[in-house]
Amino acid sequence: MTWDAFIYYAIGAILLWGAGAALALKYHAKRLPAILTLAGLVVFFFFIAALWSSLERPPLRTMGETRLWYSFFLPVAGLLTYLRWNYRWILSFTTILSAVFIFVNILKPDIHNKVLMPALQSPWFAPHVIIYIFSYAILGAATLIAIYYLAREKRISDKSRMMRMTDNLVYTGSACLTLGMLMGAIWAKEAWGHYWSWDPKETWAAATWIGYLIYIHYRLKTSSSNKTSMILLLIAFALLQICWYGLNYLPSAQQSIHTYTS
Amino acid sequence: MEHSSRKIWEQPWGYAEGFLFAIGICLAGIILQLSIGKIEPALFAFPVNSIIGALFLTGLLAVHLLAGKKSIVRWLSGVYATIPALVLLLTLSVILGAIQQQPQGTAKELLPPNLFGRLGWYRMTTSWPFVLLCFYTLVILGVTTLRRTAQKQGWRDIGFYLNHLGLFTALLGGLLGSADMVRVTMSVQEGAVEWRSNNSSGEKMELPLAIQLDSFLIEEYPPKLVIIEHETGKMLPVSRPGSYMFEGVGKTTQLAGCKVEIIDYLPHAAVFRDTSFTNVVPMMMEGAAEAIRVKVSKPGLSQPVEGWVSNGSYLFPHSVLQIDDAISVAMPQQEVKRYSSHVTVYTEEGTTRQAVIEVNKPLSVEEWMIYQYSYDDAKGKYSDTSLFELVRDPWLKVVYTGIFMLLAGALFLFIAGPKKRRS
Repeated sequence: MTWDAFIYYAIGAILLWGAGAALALKYHAKRLPAILTLAGLVVFFFFIAALWSSLERPPLRTMGETRLWYSFFLPVAGLLTYLRWNYRWILSFTTILSAVFIFVNILKPDIHNKVLMPALQSPWFAPHVIIYIFSYAILGAATLIAIYYLAREKRISDKSRMMRMTDNLVYTGSACLTLGMLMGAIWAKEAWGHYWSWDPKETWAAATWIGYLIYIHYRLKTSSSNKTSMILLLIAFALLQICWYGLNYLPSAQQSIHTYTS
Repeated sequence: MEHSSRKIWEQPWGYAEGFLFAIGICLAGIILQLSIGKIEPALFAFPVNSIIGALFLTGLLAVHLLAGKKSIVRWLSGVYATIPALVLLLTLSVILGAIQQQPQGTAKELLPPNLFGRLGWYRMTTSWPFVLLCFYTLVILGVTTLRRTAQKQGWRDIGFYLNHLGLFTALLGGLLGSADMVRVTMSVQEGAVEWRSNNSSGEKMELPLAIQLDSFLIEEYPPKLVIIEHETGKMLPVSRPGSYMFEGVGKTTQLAGCKVEIIDYLPHAAVFRDTSFTNVVPMMMEGAAEAIRVKVSKPGLSQPVEGWVSNGSYLFPHSVLQIDDAISVAMPQQEVKRYSSHVTVYTEEGTTRQAVIEVNKPLSVEEWMIYQYSYDDAKGKYSDTSLFELVRDPWLKVVYTGIFMLLAGALFLFIAGPKKRRS
């Protein structure tokens, strides 16, 4: 399977996710939306697996390839949130955000080839990147809820339920962020000789991590304001974006050894 | 705010005092930075770092035992002190991540002569504000962890200890250990034995071990073909450069609007070229280049163009095939798939070890880790020189203890989630 086939699988998946999201909004029964979302995920993952096999390496090297996984994990995060907390809006949110990343990939396709530089040939490669992108998706879902909260604060009846939801997502997301970061540290020791070199990517990963630690600690005080908590989530997610791709536009990025576009 | 009726510095303290404390620490750091300059890690090498570490731990324990119930220590081990410290640490990290950092060995005169330079922002990790703030965070982590031991313990405390003690251990080990870390490079020729290395400032250093390079191997990906613009050398199409990786003779591909047919392939070739003609013949010896014979047709071209394309070697020039006035077929440098060194390592104690070292597969010999670092770029796949990096980090075990505690702590958080609130 080559990249050219992406558009068909992507449209198929978006239609299934969209149908699931629409049904979730309209009806209370959770089974059909869940099945449709899952079917979309199967279609999308089939493409990822086929691309993996044709490239003969994990498709996790380029920015476009990480966007591909992000588009996959967002509906996963949405589905988990929907099933666990019955939050009917979330599937629409994650479908739209996932579609945005899919369109970026269709309009600005990356160059995909079989080349995998020696530094990336490690058993840590796939788990390190996948767990990071998964945490980005979970934290993306938390951010969507934060935006929703800040936009409609006065009209939300059960605020504490919403705060519990973001707390849960942030704990899960930050746990994965920590796992991804520390796997990266252990891998860096094997590949580059040091577990932490303050490479720009590492620095921004640390900044992102501290951002979510601030949210977690702020929430420990029962007197803390909900609004401030949600704003903290937006700031932390902005840091995450810089870490993921934003730093390519910063002067410091020239020094980064975390660059793998050949 | 719950403390709105309270004056600043009046007990109980809150966020305001937390920010004043953290900013005060940064200011103290800035004063030190302006007056005595950046931290010289060499001054903190063993045993100084161990003594500092021991004093630090004793101090924390003393504070906990003697003043653990005082309101200031209770405040220091709480959210009101933690968040401001994290916010300032985040601020410095953002600066560190945004400003291009200079290598630690850079002479002071070579740094940009502006305010950022004087504040130490070009070498943030050895600047006083950054390091003092890290130690302040460690103090908070330390007293928080100690205070927790005095409480009634529940199952959730496992996660708390793993995360806080793990971060404390990794951070303290990393901070103190950085002064003892040695990183040197060593260049070894095939067949030769080497024990002298170079550090980052170019000084020679003799090591207690010697590396003999038995053989060095490079494996490359198959050659690729691209269409380039003569004038600029840019790969086409400019918006998304296409390339074709060689898969065998007889295949045909489309590249930037051209039909490219693979007619012949020589894995070991001699390439002779002058302005008007190119000749390619098989040659089985070192320095041979790879060459592909292609036939290219393009709409608007009266008849297909046929000829050899090669990316050359250190012996032979590279050779492109001109299609028309504007474009050519070219073969870029091949990407390296793997490179590995077969070595025999001798230690001062008289032990001998044979191993293969490659990227992501370092060799551990006594206190040293030996990494495959690079090779002779100019000779490419015929390089007979291997460049190793040797790293000695006596504090690695401490840092890894912390990292594994944190990993377990993260798994705990993943499974347990946030504490259930009483609503």
